[in-house]
Amino acid sequence: MSETNQALLDVRNLTVKYRTSVREIRALDGVNLQVAKGEIVAVVGESACGKSTLGLSIIGLLPRPPAVVDSGEIHFAGRDLLQVREGEFAALRGTSISMIFQEPMTSLDPVYRVGDQITEAIEVREGKRASRPKGPFQKTNSADTHEMSRGASRILGARIPRSERKRTYSNEAAEALKRVQISDPVDTLEKYPHELSGGMVQRVMIAQALVERPSLLIADEPTSALDVTTQAQVLNLMRGLRDEIGASIIFITHDLAVASRIADRVAVMYAGDVVELAAVGDLFRHPQHPYSLGLIDSFPRQFKDEGRLEAIPGDVPDLRRQIPGCKFSSRCRFVFDRCRVEKPELVEVKPGQKAACFLRYPG
Amino acid sequence: MNEILVVDDLVKYFPLRAGFVDRLRGRRAANIHAVDGVTFSLQNNETLGLVGESGSGKTTLGRAVLMLDPPTSGRITFDGRVITELKGEALRQTRRKMQIVFQNPNSSLDPRARVKDIIAEPLRAFEYDKESLNENLLRVLTAVNLPEDSLTKLPHEFSGGQRQRIAIARALILDPKFIVLDEPTSALDSSIQAQILNLLRMLQEKMKLSYLFITHNVSVVKYMADRVAVMYSGKLVEVGRTRDILEHPLHPYTRALISSVPPLDPGVKAEGVPLSGEVPSAMNPPKGCRFNPRCPYVKEICEREEPELREVAQGHHSACHFAETLLESESPGAASPSGTSRSTDWRGT
Repeated sequence: MSETNQALLDVRNLTVKYRTSVREIRALDGVNLQVAKGEIVAVVGESACGKSTLGLSIIGLLPRPPAVVDSGEIHFAGRDLLQVREGEFAALRGTSISMIFQEPMTSLDPVYRVGDQITEAIEVREGKRASRPKGPFQKTNSADTHEMSRGASRILGARIPRSERKRTYSNEAAEALKRVQISDPVDTLEKYPHELSGGMVQRVMIAQALVERPSLLIADEPTSALDVTTQAQVLNLMRGLRDEIGASIIFITHDLAVASRIADRVAVMYAGDVVELAAVGDLFRHPQHPYSLGLIDSFPRQFKDEGRLEAIPGDVPDLRRQIPGCKFSSRCRFVFDRCRVEKPELVEVKPGQKAACFLRYPG
Repeated sequence: MNEILVVDDLVKYFPLRAGFVDRLRGRRAANIHAVDGVTFSLQNNETLGLVGESGSGKTTLGRAVLMLDPPTSGRITFDGRVITELKGEALRQTRRKMQIVFQNPNSSLDPRARVKDIIAEPLRAFEYDKESLNENLLRVLTAVNLPEDSLTKLPHEFSGGQRQRIAIARALILDPKFIVLDEPTSALDSSIQAQILNLLRMLQEKMKLSYLFITHNVSVVKYMADRVAVMYSGKLVEVGRTRDILEHPLHPYTRALISSVPPLDPGVKAEGVPLSGEVPSAMNPPKGCRFNPRCPYVKEICEREEPELREVAQGHHSACHFAETLLESESPGAASPSGTSRSTDWRGT
């Protein structure tokens, strides 16, 4: 394998299990992944393939228990994140590594104004405040004391002088919203998350990431809850984010087409394994793993009168059981005996393209 | 006439009750204009794809067509009978021939009922032949490719794709002519989605079904539909044959929608300009054309007059004042999800 030393993130042989008293699920099974500085890597796979677990492992938010890291290392900026203690990790989160979640509506705090939440991100970056998981959110704004009475009078429709209603948020906060194409940033800062649409909230999340200036952003299905026209806007913004602050992005998605739009490289995951890792063009034109091929073929792109889709037969395997050999073997149309007993390694089959399939083994 | 369904000027408002505080402030009750004057028809054995974004009213339209939510006004003719005028027993009997499959099989199947009871439930609502019940159950079970021993199992013993097959089997047991498919694959993984889409097409051919296929996914509609209706803010903005709509869209919204769909091939640049702005409020839709606040070609007339859905080219209807101009200018080969070329040889090792 040709590891470059410039990799910002280097995940090596990561195995994560979810263990309860009755069962054990192997969510990640020896995953290797490198992300270079300023690179966008899409992690593509179906539900329960381990793609979110990978994201959570990197940012140190795995729910432990039940999650257990069995083996592996995650090197980021010169240290192994798995060895960093929680107290120190909090200082990394939001400053070096940020995450955007799938459900925009549940990832902002409903009781704080958008402006407060962006200001919080700015303060975390400047070291004025630790990021949230350390302790309860502390208010820094003394103007909040009148909140109750103002809220009550608003319900009754009383007029509050505009000067009193307006709060002051920094220019930087407004600037950040402007950069994610929110048309009236100053008004939006005043609003609560429920007053915004899904697309707007997701843009606020990106604005937050923007002010945090992380070197690595993990985006877990950031556009899956959005309509296509909004999705197109958000994808453009994410690319812009990379260009503007040079952040590396791990873009987790189940949607191949979205991955093809945003990524430089794609990692295809299946049942806890990375089965193919390739530059985006190589993956879509010359997929090397039968699962990648099957996923691409099962994407509808022909008209009704132009014939049938090539669907992958069967279902995703049950990860509670130990699966011998290649996990895709039960659904693979090229399967042969070796696949059922021996697990193929992820090997380089072409320059810059790796696949875990015996068919592609050199020699 | 071989039209199975004719919908004429269908309107569905949901009244909002004015709350106590609203009344104190002198506000009156408002309506949500979920479906606002929709006209279309569906041929026998045809699939009409209904595309639109969330909040456009497509699910409400699907439910209203089945009289699950009685429409506020308008006329629905199903199989030659005006069902909007039917009531009680007469309406119940026509329902035999119309069914629905919902988006999420996890919530549309009773977790505590056995598969045989789930599938037989529509039968029990009518008089049925108890002798042939088992035979009937096995018939639909084979039709959706589930093993026979599924009958005594519970929904949680199945994967998501299999659960959706159960929901489809339930819709088939009464031998319907028409099925509303409301995002039937949106909750499924992409490899399973292809299986279910193929199954639905196979069933349509075999059982001569007509589908109203509701989805937000343009690629899916391309693969499934003979004709497409595009919905925006409670109205149909464009109706026509799938190929015409996707290759030569005659409404600015359809153009924007299609160009927002990412093509699978990273080599193909999606040339569309993403739409700005948001879907308008259904409580207070904009005057004139409902798309005018977001339309890149907006002119003065668009803010004043609401365009009618009219036939612009043969079999191709658009509700845009400037549809003819769009027809002449010709769309820039609107980026529909295109194929990828592949040179990997899959036989050799």
